[in-house]
Amino acid sequence: MLIMWTALLSQVAGHNYRVVLSVFEERNIIQGTGCAARIPFCVSLQEDAPMKHMGPLISVTLKWTLRDRALHGLFGATLLLFALIPIMSIFSMRQVQELSITLSLSMISFILLILAVLLGSSSVWRDIERRYTASVLGLPISRATYISAKFIGIAFFIISCAALLGLAACLTIGITRVLYPPLPPVNWLNICIAVIVDSFKYILLGAFSLLFSALSTSFFLPFFGTIAVFLAGNASQEVFEFISGDFGKTMARPILLFLKMLYYLLPNFSAFNLKVQAIYGLPLSGPGLAYTILYFVIYTSLLVIGAQWIFSRRELS
Amino acid sequence: MLLLSYFAVILPFTAYLKNRPTVIKLGYLPEAVIIRAVSGDQRYLIAESTIVKVLFYYGSLIDKLNDKVIIPPEYQNMFRTLETAVKLDPYNKDPYYFAQAAFTWEVGHAADVNKMLMYGMKYRTWDSELPFYISFNNAYFMKDFRNAAIFMKNAAEISGFPLYTSLAARYFYEAGIDELGIVFLDTMEKGAQDKQIKKIYQLRKQALISVKTLREAMKKFKASYRRMPTDLSELVASGTLKEIPTDPYGGRFYLAKGGMIRSTSKFTLEGGSK
Repeated sequence: MLIMWTALLSQVAGHNYRVVLSVFEERNIIQGTGCAARIPFCVSLQEDAPMKHMGPLISVTLKWTLRDRALHGLFGATLLLFALIPIMSIFSMRQVQELSITLSLSMISFILLILAVLLGSSSVWRDIERRYTASVLGLPISRATYISAKFIGIAFFIISCAALLGLAACLTIGITRVLYPPLPPVNWLNICIAVIVDSFKYILLGAFSLLFSALSTSFFLPFFGTIAVFLAGNASQEVFEFISGDFGKTMARPILLFLKMLYYLLPNFSAFNLKVQAIYGLPLSGPGLAYTILYFVIYTSLLVIGAQWIFSRRELS
Repeated sequence: MLLLSYFAVILPFTAYLKNRPTVIKLGYLPEAVIIRAVSGDQRYLIAESTIVKVLFYYGSLIDKLNDKVIIPPEYQNMFRTLETAVKLDPYNKDPYYFAQAAFTWEVGHAADVNKMLMYGMKYRTWDSELPFYISFNNAYFMKDFRNAAIFMKNAAEISGFPLYTSLAARYFYEAGIDELGIVFLDTMEKGAQDKQIKKIYQLRKQALISVKTLREAMKKFKASYRRMPTDLSELVASGTLKEIPTDPYGGRFYLAKGGMIRSTSKFTLEGGSK
C-alpha cells in the first residue's frame, strides 16, 4: 500500500521514469561504481513502472537501517525497559494497569520519535556524504524515485518497529495483568489503534525530516528542524485553543492572524494522540479517526512531493 | 587489585549514602499549560511521574516522622503539584485518591479537594468513587448534607451499590429533603434485580415516607398552633395526625433537639433489634 501510494505521488509530481532495474545489487551501490553497466541484470525502459525499480532502493534503505548499530543498542535498551514496566507499575496507587499501558505507549512514542528523527535526518544526508547518491543517481533512476524509495523505506521501518514494540507492549500489559489481578478489562483494540496512529504521526515527522534532508547540505537542519517541527506540532492545538479563548482577545490582530495561519500550516500532532482512549478504554470517534488518517495521507503526500521537487532541483556535486 | 579496591570502597560508600542528611524538597513544577504544550503525548507519563514524586516526598516525611524528625510538609506545593498532574491527565485516578487521603483528614482542605474531585468527575464519568469522596467530605467535614445527598445519589447511580443508596437516603433525611430521597429510592428499587437489595430499598423508602408524614404533620401543627409540638404524641392528640407511623426498622419515632425527627432504631436493623 505504501509503495503504491508513493508511486502515485511520484506520478502526481510529474516525473517520468526512463529506466527500470529488474534486479538491483546492493553491493554495487555501496561500493559506488556509479556505472549502470557494471550492475548485473540492469535492464531498461519502461515509462510507467517506478515501482519495479523502487523495490531494490527500498530494500537497500531498510538494510542500511537494520545494520545500524546505534539502533541495535536502542532496541536492546527498549526491550530491557519493557521488561521493567510491570515492576514500575506498582508505583501507582489505584491504576497499576493504566500505568503499565501509559509507560508502554510512552516508550513506543519515544522510540518512534528517535527513529523518525534519526532515520529521516540521516538517510539522504548520509548518502550524499558518502557519495552513494552519486552512484545511485548515476544509474538511470530519477531523483523523485530515489526520494520516494527513501520515504517508503523509513515509513516501512517505522511501521515494523511500531508493530514489534506494540507486541512487546501487549506482552508487558498481559504480564502486569497476571501479576496484579484483579484488574479491569483492557481495550486491546484501542491500544492497537493508538500504536498504529502513533506510527502515522512519526511517519509524517519522518517525511518532514526527509524534506529538510532534501533541502540541506548538513545534518543539523534536518535534525534540529525536525525536532522543532515536532515540538511545534505538539503545541499547535494547545496554542490555538489558548488564543481562541479570552487571551486571544487581548492580542494584536496581526499576531493573532499570524498564529492562526501557523496553526493551519504546521502539522497537528495532537490528533494522533489516542493514548487516553487506549489507557482508559474510552470510545474512539470513527469520523475523527477517518479525518486523522486523511489528514496524515494528504499532509505526508505534500511533504514527499515537496521533498521530491526540491531534491530534483538540487545541485549535487 | 582494582576489584579489591572496589569492594573495599563500596561498603563504606553505601553506608555514607544511606546515612547522609537528605534535603527533602518537592521542587517547582511549571504551569500545566506550558507542560501540555511542550510535552505533547508524553504528558500522561509526566503526570504520573509528578504524582509519584509527591507520593515519595510525602512518604519520606512520614519516614522522618517515625524517626522523630518533624519536617513540615509543603502542603500548598503538594496540592498545586497534584492540580498540575490533574490538568495534564484528568483521567488519572491517583491524584484524586491521594488528595482525598492527604488533604482532608490532616489538613482540613475538604472544600479544595472537592473542587478537584468535581473536576475529575467531568472526565471519569464511570467512576463512582469520586462522587462518593465528595459526598463524604460534604457530610463528614463540612456538614453539608444536602450536597452530600446529591453526590451520594450520583455515586449510587453510577455504581448501583446498595450501600451508597442507603447513605444517600440518609443524607437526604439529614438535609430534610425526604421527597427527593423517596423518589431516588423508588428509582433504585425498580432497577434492582436482587430481592434482598429490593427489600433494603423498600425499608429505607418506607422509613423516609414515615418521616415525611411526620414532618408534614409538624408543619400543619405549627401553622395551627403557632408553635412546635413538644412531643410526637401531641400531633395525634391535637388531631393533626391519625397515628404515629411505624418505623420499618423496628424503632420508635421521637422528636429530637432542633425539631428533628429521629428513631430509636437510628434507621438500622441493629438499632431496631435493641
